[in-house]
This record gives sequence, C-alpha cells and structure tokens, in this order.
Amino acid sequence: MRTDLFIMALVAVLLSIVLGQLGFFDAARLTKGLQNMGILTWEMLPPDASVLPVAGEALWETVQMSFAGTMLGFLVSLPLSVLGTRHLFSAPVSNLSRLIAAGIRTVPVLLWAILFVILVGLGPLAGTLGVAAYTVGYLAKIYAELFEGTDPEIVEAVRGTGASRLHLVRFVVLPEGANAILTQLLFMLEYNIRASSILGFVGAGGVGFVMQVYLQTLEYRRLATVLLLILVVVLIMDGLSAWMRRRFLLTPQS
Amino acid sequence: MDSTDLALRAEGICFAYRGEEWVLKDISLSVPRGKATMIMGPSGSGKTTLMKVLAGILCPQRGRLEALSQEVGKRTRRSLYSLIGYIPQQLGLVRNLTSLENVLMGALGRCGHGKVMLGLFPRHEVEQAQAALDLMGIGDKSSEKVFRLSGGQRQRVAIARTLLQRPRVVLADEFVSDLDLALAAEILRLMRQVAEREQMTFVANMHEPQLVREFADQVLILDHGQIVRRFPTDGSQERSPSEVLQ
Ligand SMILES: Nc1ncnc2c1ncn2[C@@H]1O[C@H](COP(=O)(O)OP(=O)(O)OP(=O)(O)O)[C@@H](O)[C@H]1O
Ligand SMILES: [Mg+2]
Repeated sequence: MRTDLFIMALVAVLLSIVLGQLGFFDAARLTKGLQNMGILTWEMLPPDASVLPVAGEALWETVQMSFAGTMLGFLVSLPLSVLGTRHLFSAPVSNLSRLIAAGIRTVPVLLWAILFVILVGLGPLAGTLGVAAYTVGYLAKIYAELFEGTDPEIVEAVRGTGASRLHLVRFVVLPEGANAILTQLLFMLEYNIRASSILGFVGAGGVGFVMQVYLQTLEYRRLATVLLLILVVVLIMDGLSAWMRRRFLLTPQS
Repeated sequence: MDSTDLALRAEGICFAYRGEEWVLKDISLSVPRGKATMIMGPSGSGKTTLMKVLAGILCPQRGRLEALSQEVGKRTRRSLYSLIGYIPQQLGLVRNLTSLENVLMGALGRCGHGKVMLGLFPRHEVEQAQAALDLMGIGDKSSEKVFRLSGGQRQRVAIARTLLQRPRVVLADEFVSDLDLALAAEILRLMRQVAEREQMTFVANMHEPQLVREFADQVLILDHGQIVRRFPTDGSQERSPSEVLQ
C-alpha cells in the first residue's frame, strides 16, 4: 500500500516537472493563447457553406483512401500476425515477422505517405498505400498478441486430433479471435478516416489538400465547413461500427 | 503382461511445471488395451497433469512413456496424435463454431488442406459427425454455436468429436462431470460399446465412485502426484475395484 502511494507521488512530481519544462506554467503565454482561441473561433463563424461541393468531393476521396488502405493493410496483417504467433511458429519465424511489423510501425503514417508520393507520384494512390502500410504495422502487432492469447486448451484439444498448423489457424485461432479481429478492424477504419485527412498536406490525396489551402489563405470560415463535414463522417462511422458490432459479435464475454 | 497388450506404459515419470516443485513423482502405470482405466484423486493431486503427459502434450522431465508400443518422444509425438484422442477438463471446444463443426474437428487429421479450408468437409464425414451427435442425444443442436450450449451438452459435443476421430486410445479428463448420474452412466455405456467393438482403450479421470465401480477395469488412486493405490493390484485379482470402493 505504502509503495503504491510512493509511486503515485513520484509520478505526480515527475509530471509537474515535465509540464513546467514544456511551458505549461507560463501564465502570460497561456492567457494569450486563450485570447487567440477566441479570435480564431470568431473568425470561423459562420461556416461558409459554398465550399460544400468541393470539400465533400475531397472528403469522399479521403473515405475511399481510408477504406481501401485499411482493407489492404488488414489482408497483409493477417498472415504476418499468424507467422508472428509464438505458439504456432518457431522463434526465428515469429521474431522475424514481429521485427518486420515493428519496423513498419516505426514510420509514422505521414512519412509513409511522403515515401509513396516519391514512389508513385502525387494523388490518392500514394495516400492509400500509406494508410495500408501503417495499418499493417499496427494490426500485425495487435493480432499476433491476440492469437497468442488463444486458450491453449482449445489448441491442444484440436491439435490432438491430428490437425495441422494450417488447420489450427483456420479452425481455432481465427474463429476464437473473430470478435476481437472485427473490433480492431473497425477501430482501425475509424482511426484511419480521421488520420488520413492530414495526408493531403503532403500531396497524397483527399481532403487534407483543401484544408491546407484554406489554412494558408486564412479562410477560416471555409475551414470550419470542412471540419464539420469530417465530424459528420466520423459520427456516421461510429454509428456504423456500433451497428456492425451488435450485428456480428454474438459470443458473450466468457 | 506382454507389452504388445498394453496401450500405454509409463515408467518412473516425473513432471514439474516450469521452475516449480514436482507435480508428478515417479509414476509408473500400465494401461491394458481395450480396457477402461479410471484415475481418482483429490483436487490438485495431479490428475490433469498426468492426463496431459499421457496425451503427449506435456513432456515429462524424467521417465519413459510408451504409447501403442511406440516410445513417445519429441519426434514420434506428432504421429501418435491422431491415434490418441484427448478430451481436456475444459473440453477445448471452439466457442464460435457450431456443434457439428466442432465434431468435424475430429476428422481434420485425415482431411488435408483442400476444400476443408473453406469449411467444406467430405459428405461422409459430415454424416458421421451428425450421427455422433445423434448418438450423444444432441442431434438437434448440430447447427447451434457452442457458446449457446449447456455444460452437459458441451461435454457431449467433445465426446462426439473424439468418436469421430476414431482413436485407438481415449484420454478423458472429467468428461462427464456436468452430466447427471443417469446420463453419465448412459454415455459411459455407449463408450464401452464403441470401445468393445473397435478395441478402443479408455482412460478417464473420474470423481463419481458409482460410475468408477460400474465401468472401470482398473482404478488408480492419485495423491500428491503419486499413485498411492491401484485396483486390481498387479497380478492378484482377489479384490475387485467394487469391493474396495465402498
Ligand atoms: N499450468 C500450470 N502451471 C503451474 N502449475 C500448475 C499448472 N497446472 C496445474 N498446476 C499445479 O499442479 C498441481 C496439480 O494440478 P492438476 O490440474 O493436475 O490437478 P487435478 O488433480 O487435475 O485437480 P482437479 O481435480 O481440481 O482438476 C496443482 O498444485 C496445480 O497448482
Ligand atoms: Mg484436473
């Protein structure tokens, strides 16, 4: 009990030191920031609806990029994570697979987009590939850990019938993990839709380019329209994935 | 007894989970072919551990194990898998698959990687899986997902899976504990018929003295990782299991 308290106190002290170093106790700067925020908000109102067609079209491209990128990344991450499952494959194989996933994960999505712009040129193709790469890195890790957590008794029982490793993946690991596989995939899709709106900043297609133009030309009322539109899409996605979960996740938590 | 008459033979088996104390201490046993051997013992005495060692899932640190006249080692374990059926204490059913699909897992060892990978099993296997469920009295539950079944129904799915596997030896860990006595006895009677017809050997952990008395040809009592009593005692048949278990 006493060590718990000690650790909490230590974390609190550490946090305040870091916050101080980051400028959080600079009152003058913070009040100025608040004032600016007021001004900015004021300049965003009312949103300029005339840009709806342009913004809508660009946002649709972002949604397409995220969907295609997420699904491509998902398809690659499945075999990669199976190979990374230590219960099924020997240490060299699973470690190599995990190393690849970790390497992919090291590169942030924006950097992936820049890389693919260099490789395949400007436009949504680069953005889609960037989203896919990022998705592979993330899902491969999550799924490998999920697969490793499969109840060993089920694996033992089915392996004991003479089933092969491929059988175990198809009939034990995937069905047992189905709920979590779907949940993580939906989470990834939601995340990618939000995250990939930035990709247009580096010329990788989608709504980011429009946002960048409005930011640089100080047209904050138009920017507000774009942000609201993104909010609508994110809300729709949330609703859609909630419905998917209700519809497909039947196993009670046990 | 000639060793070819033995389904399983263990000599001086010692087992410990990683870095802990011995759970099995110097276990030696012989399981005659086509007979039913039942293991009894208090909770924590090592019954499940012994079962997993016999099934080739856990590798003992000391001792020798022979299954169907073959030495069980790292290399031979795989080839023995399809000959030895194992029903774990928690049954090891895939919760998100239907009863029928779970029973079909028993046929995977002879199904290859063709259409089966799409979930399409050969028709005769599906028919036999359905027949096994019918035999267990839950034929009407074949398309129900396992997580919707009751404990006793799940146990019967696990038994049906093992029947479809058609192993030479069945190792069952408390596999009728969720059934009432009458149903448990009925299932055991069915198992005995199958065992007699196919010369199948049967080893089970069991709590219920009445069932042990009726169905066991050999009884082993385990306590603190050691076999403390066995009936009938080696060679002499003067005391049958039913006489000793009051
Ligand atoms: N995976 C494990 N890791 C470490 N110790 C274990 C593990 N499984 C079992 N044990 C220990 O081994 C001993 C024997 O356990 P085992 O499961 O074989 O008992 P059991 O006779 O089957 O009991 P029950 O009748 O309750 O099922 C226990 O003391 C237990 O704590
Ligand atoms: Mg047990």
